[in-house]
Amino acid sequence: MAQEETRQDEAAATEAEAAEAAERRTPRRTAAQMIGVGLLASVLGVLGGLLIDWFPAPGSTQAGPIDTLWDVLLIASVPVFVLVTVVIAFSVINFRMRPGEEGIDGPPIHGNTRLEVIWTAVPAILIVGLVTYAYVVLRDIEQAPASGRERVVKVFGEQFAWTFEYNEGGRRFRNAQLYLPVDESVKFEVQSKDVIHDFWVPAFRMKIDAVPGITTSYRVTPTAVGDHAIVCAELCGLGHAFMRQTAHVMTSDDFGAWVRRASAPAGGGGGGGASGGAPDGKQLFAAGKDSTGAQPCGACHKLSDAGSSGGTGPDLDQALRGKDAAFIERAIVDPNAEIAQGFGPNVMPDNYRSTLSSAEVDALVKYLQDATK
Amino acid sequence: MEAASIAHGHAEHEHHGPPPANRSSRVEPQLLGMLLFIISEVMVFGAFFTAYFFIRVVSGDRWFPIEENELPVAVAGINTAILVSSSFTMHWAQTSIKNGNRFGLKAGILTTFVLGLTFLFIQVNEYVHIGFAPHDFAQGSVFYGLTGLHGAHVFVGLTLLLTVVIRSWRGHFSPEEHRGVEVPGIYWHFVDVMWIIVYSTVYLL
Amino acid sequence: MFAKLSAPGWYRAALYLLIGLGFSYVLSIGARAGFGYDPVLDGEAVLQIALIAMPFFFLAGMGAFDYWYHWAAGRPTLPEDHSNHGARRWQDYFKVNTDHKVIGIQYTVTSFFFLFVGGLIAMLMRAELAAPGRQFVDSNTFNGLFSVHASILIFLFIIPVFAGLANFVLPLMIGAPDMAFPRLNALSYWMLPVAGLMMLVSFFAPGGSFATGWTAYAPLSETSPIGQVFFTIGVQFAGASSIATALNFLVTIITMRAPGMSFFRLPLLVWANFSTSLLVVIATPFIAASQFFVLLDRALGFDFFRVAGGAGGDVLMYQHVFWFYSHPAVYIMMLPGFGIVSEILAVKSRKPIFGYRMMAFSLLAIVVLGFTVWAHHMFVSGMQSWIRVPMMVTTAIIAVPTGIKIFSWLATLWRGVLHLDTPMLFALGFVTMFTLGGISGVMLAMIPLTIHVSDTYFIVAHIHYVLFGGSLFTIFAGVYYWFPKMTGRMYDETLGRVHFWTTFVFFNVTFAPMHLIGVQGMPRRVADYAAEFADWNLAISIASFCLGLSSLLFLYNIIASWRGGPRAAANPWRALTLEWQVSSPPPIFNFDSVPTVVGGPYEYGVPGAVHGVFKGGAEVPQPAGAREHAAAD
Ligand code: HEA
Ligand code: HEA
Ligand code: CUA
Ligand SMILES: [Cu+2]
Repeated sequence: MAQEETRQDEAAATEAEAAEAAERRTPRRTAAQMIGVGLLASVLGVLGGLLIDWFPAPGSTQAGPIDTLWDVLLIASVPVFVLVTVVIAFSVINFRMRPGEEGIDGPPIHGNTRLEVIWTAVPAILIVGLVTYAYVVLRDIEQAPASGRERVVKVFGEQFAWTFEYNEGGRRFRNAQLYLPVDESVKFEVQSKDVIHDFWVPAFRMKIDAVPGITTSYRVTPTAVGDHAIVCAELCGLGHAFMRQTAHVMTSDDFGAWVRRASAPAGGGGGGGASGGAPDGKQLFAAGKDSTGAQPCGACHKLSDAGSSGGTGPDLDQALRGKDAAFIERAIVDPNAEIAQGFGPNVMPDNYRSTLSSAEVDALVKYLQDATK
Repeated sequence: MEAASIAHGHAEHEHHGPPPANRSSRVEPQLLGMLLFIISEVMVFGAFFTAYFFIRVVSGDRWFPIEENELPVAVAGINTAILVSSSFTMHWAQTSIKNGNRFGLKAGILTTFVLGLTFLFIQVNEYVHIGFAPHDFAQGSVFYGLTGLHGAHVFVGLTLLLTVVIRSWRGHFSPEEHRGVEVPGIYWHFVDVMWIIVYSTVYLL
Repeated sequence: MFAKLSAPGWYRAALYLLIGLGFSYVLSIGARAGFGYDPVLDGEAVLQIALIAMPFFFLAGMGAFDYWYHWAAGRPTLPEDHSNHGARRWQDYFKVNTDHKVIGIQYTVTSFFFLFVGGLIAMLMRAELAAPGRQFVDSNTFNGLFSVHASILIFLFIIPVFAGLANFVLPLMIGAPDMAFPRLNALSYWMLPVAGLMMLVSFFAPGGSFATGWTAYAPLSETSPIGQVFFTIGVQFAGASSIATALNFLVTIITMRAPGMSFFRLPLLVWANFSTSLLVVIATPFIAASQFFVLLDRALGFDFFRVAGGAGGDVLMYQHVFWFYSHPAVYIMMLPGFGIVSEILAVKSRKPIFGYRMMAFSLLAIVVLGFTVWAHHMFVSGMQSWIRVPMMVTTAIIAVPTGIKIFSWLATLWRGVLHLDTPMLFALGFVTMFTLGGISGVMLAMIPLTIHVSDTYFIVAHIHYVLFGGSLFTIFAGVYYWFPKMTGRMYDETLGRVHFWTTFVFFNVTFAPMHLIGVQGMPRRVADYAAEFADWNLAISIASFCLGLSSLLFLYNIIASWRGGPRAAANPWRALTLEWQVSSPPPIFNFDSVPTVVGGPYEYGVPGAVHGVFKGGAEVPQPAGAREHAAAD
């Protein structure tokens, strides 16, 4: 009993002491100082954030709104982070336990309804604002062009290359390279032949999965003439890291010229070395053979002569320089026999023996030999 | 080894068991555990129904009959009746033991077990004669997936019932202590109700 | 010898494993012969059956089912036989044990083993990524490395370590002598090493380990080599384990609270585990089902995700089912941490937690909202585009209840008396780093931005800010905080602080630049990358090695302190919650008699406040500060 009493006395004493301590430890300046530091840090943080060069160079009309959205998000979120950090920093500085305070407790504050309402409502309002803005941006970047005229390019993903199908002036043709005219809206209709891939051009800021069984799509209006990387952004197997190609954006005139060249019936007519006539090695290289599922070499390999720039497989300008026909043929039909430095096995299809006739293989070998002399 | 460690413990502690836990809820722990487990089970079925929904509704694939393959609605209907009646015999067993009627318990639980086994047998027989395989088309995968999942649950339920059969034959359970009948019974009712849902969505709709 | 082989334990487990192997062969050959397949002996078929069957043989051999078997067979059982309860020697930790404190330690230690394995794998990844081109591993092995890294750290570390810590402290906190189902608890634990080992040995499978990421998207996971099955089946065991534990927690919390322990007197850790367990029980079946689908497709040729030849499967269905679990799973990996931090911040600030009820309600709000946002992982998946905007809204709204928690913690600090020791440092580090990770999450909710940064290193940055800066910081905090209770020893405070600061600094140097290279266009899950990212990646790799080394400080501190640290007092933190009112480590049955709870758990600074009283008079020793204070004078 007596013990009980002393304990209560002590407790009372501690309370008084705690109150006094709290008084001592909460200088009125603290809050004001903290707000000042917080504002300053927020401004600096936002400025710093905006100065950083976050995005790759913009290459489409879609890039603008998305980059601006990012800036807005930075401006909205830096102060939130600063707020949390500054409060913690000030608490640590002002309220940390000092020697001699080992036994003291803080003031028993259980809550404050007003504060709680504020910090529920303010983030909620902020969120509503951001979401609304993001929704507007989304509408904006997915809107069909006002003119209503739009080119459709079909994109086929497969392990580990993209092929593109055009329909220009009624002529349908395939190519392993993506060529686009500048300032004209294009809609990509994306499909996959095997597993999920993702068709992403960072400069355009847009991506969508290529999903087996369905067609997905997005549209962009390229704005920057030049070459932009195409990246596969969905894990699709062992060649995923190398599933890189290039989008060539060109002026309307150049594009027209390219279309005429690419869609011209090749040497023997039909899409790439079909029946009758000698097979055309260059055509096979660039477009493969759709009827048997032979993938175009140009989708994965760089070859200056064909203008291809894929990075999935070795650069043929280098790898095949001065090699004989036997080496090249083996590299095509039995790709795992010898793997180039820095590349993995089983990435390249090993079915060319069955998807191409031997005449076609010979034509391809001949072409490659000539092109890499 | 074990005996040694018990003796070892003996030397130090006078006290051998935990203090009785406080009961902070009127629900029996075993009952609550089974209910939560059933929630989990419902979610497993939910995921399979998601597959059903995506393949039948979202992808818009046609449902049975597919390429002349029909589902044996009538046979499965009889099977449904068998399973539903097993719920009643289960209930009979449960009320019997509450009233101290051991014969009712034994007869009820055994009938339930036999009915469940019959259900499973007819189901397997249906698979054998149905004429399509899970790899023929996705609707077939969903059919085998859902009915197979349910069949697996019937199997688990039967295993639980078997323990009840064994224990009631060995003279366990009394009007005071019959959680061992109660809890498997709840599971069995769940298996029944689930079948009614599977039957209506897969065979009837 | 025979006695050893028939008594539950490792010998019998080894024997049963052999029997299980034989069983798998017989079943596989029999089934294939029965259905007329050729050849009758197919290695992959045997392997798939063995992966499912052998764990059960192992568990049976260890004795996890003995009691139930006896019960089911109607043989006399001894519910009051406590021979498998408590640990008296270190060997007892390698047995099936029914004591929640032993299981808690088994859980925690096992999970930390997997942290170091997963971390070591990360070190290999960073070595490969230190420069563009190929360094040490080919691209297939690399895909395997990050897949195993993530799967191990998620399913074998973060999720179970929280279950382990809660296993130890939760029954003590609510005044229960044990969990509601001690034997189920033991079974839950023993499924973990099984799942973990399964994932690790996949590296020895022909064709390499599973290499489709921790998300294992179909159809890639159906066409990849047999190593994938180690994930498909391993996850089932990990999942079953967490469902069983969650169920156990829920029943324990609902039915075994001490007298007077109303829901609003529960410590927030209990609330957090209550919420988490709800998530687990409801969501985890979905990942089980998603892997069932994959397994059925692979093993029996089902068509769930096959579209070739008009099979009619639906590829996106996998992602919906998977994320319907795996988004809630990210809160399964965070809410228990919220609970830990709430405990530590209140005790170490010497103040009541600010806004207790809102803290509890915001947990429940997160649970409910957590089920409505899964498709934010699918913004670029090609699903129906109308689903995106509703998901964006619900996702962003989660910032509100989470914000309530963050701000309430800040208010708890304000005007407190902050004891800045190691647990507190980690708790404060958590609040800042998780805010950062959460904010990048809110950015990701904004669809137009996600279209660009999805599947880039920006996501990798987000992942590690929330999982490392979030979950792992709270785990470190919790381990330091309860170390005295769990082991009866004190850890080395100086080393602990050094561990915090090195971790905090190198963590940021490692993961902050990933935001930048992600936005600039570096995709995730690649062994090779464009030359423009080389400098940043080298810096990241170097920092990550330092981060790895800093975790060795922790390892050393824990091992050395456990073996020879100074004895810990029963209540070194002067905390009010019940686990601190018993000795360190607690007695084998926790309490001599169950305490009665008469007040809230965080009444620091309230004169004469009491949380629990023990029968037999003496109220729980109170930390009003007076005692120590007087002593200090
Ligand atoms: C612990 C795990 C964890 C946690 C808690 C979170 C929390 C959140 N996550 Fe994250 N997430 C992951 C783990 C986690 N995530 C993982 C592992 C992935 C990748 C999966 C994979 O593909 O491999 C992922 C991916 C991921 C994506 C998909 C990206 C993509 O692949 O394209 C998205 C998109 O919306 C997202 C959003 C969010 C949001 C909005 C939260 C919110 O809950 C965050 C809320 C918190 C705060 C916002 C901070 C505190 C709040 C305040 C201080 C209030 C004021 C704030 C504001 C007003 C902004 N996450
Ligand atoms: C809890 C979760 C968790 C944790 C703790 C970590 C910890 C780390 N992670 Fe991981 N990570 C994930 C969850 C986690 N990660 C997930 C979910 C993914 C997505 C995977 C996917 O795409 O499917 C991912 C992916 C991921 C990637 C991207 C891979 C890719 O997309 O290509 C990278 C790359 O740097 C990475 C790095 C690291 C590093 C350096 C650490 C470090 O923090 C590790 C620190 C090390 C230790 C803690 C202990 C080990 C140290 C030793 C044993 C001492 C040895 C020391 C030396 C050799 C120096 N992680
Ligand atoms: Cu194709 Cu990744
Ligand atoms: Cu999510």
